[in-house]
Amino acid sequence: MLELAIGIILGCCALGAGFAMIAGIGPGIGEGNAVAKACEAIGRQPESKGAVTSTMLMGCVIAETTGIYALVIAILLIFVAPNMLVDILLTAIGG
Amino acid sequence: MKKIDRAVWKETVYVALWTLILSALMQAVFLILGKWGLSVLLGNFWGAAGAVLNFFLLGIGVQHAVSQNDPKKAQTVIRLSHTLRLLMLVVFAAVGVLVPVFQTVAAVVPLIFPQVAMLFRPKFGGIDENKEGGA
Repeated sequence: MLELAIGIILGCCALGAGFAMIAGIGPGIGEGNAVAKACEAIGRQPESKGAVTSTMLMGCVIAETTGIYALVIAILLIFVAPNMLVDILLTAIGG
Repeated sequence: MKKIDRAVWKETVYVALWTLILSALMQAVFLILGKWGLSVLLGNFWGAAGAVLNFFLLGIGVQHAVSQNDPKKAQTVIRLSHTLRLLMLVVFAAVGVLVPVFQTVAAVVPLIFPQVAMLFRPKFGGIDENKEGGA
């Protein structure tokens, strides 16, 4: 029974990490669209390249925020949460 | 190898400075909580290095993408850059969490410092919001 409970904890942590990383897809798509539009803008006004690059950098960093949050959550779910939850389970059973 | 754009250097230096300031703040918080140690300092260095490197590579990726003539190709370039940088961040975060030399929280939190730095960017006059129609 204990093995089953630990297995469920590990499985749920892995599933949660996988689901969290779905958020990593969005920034890639968003950045791609933004850069494509920036490319078109520079094609129309080549003199604005510096300004567009700076603005693009800011936009890309902000767009990436959700991806990095998801990554942090996934890493914690994979490496930190299982040990913590198993410890809590063992303490609860022991108590 | 193409020359790195001045805007990329400028933004990277700005982000590195802000990362340094926010790292100092984080160290102060650890000190106040009484949990400061060498592992916190090392973890902070590791995470901050990963965050600044990620930003610098993003800058190079954006520079490379906007220099393309075809928007579709630019899209592909930045998506490839995003995927590779995410993999790099996975490695940085995993090492920061797994290696006992680094304190977990101190290694992971600095990864979002460039985002915080960029939120303050318009207030410090780096990017004129009225330019190019506020885009």
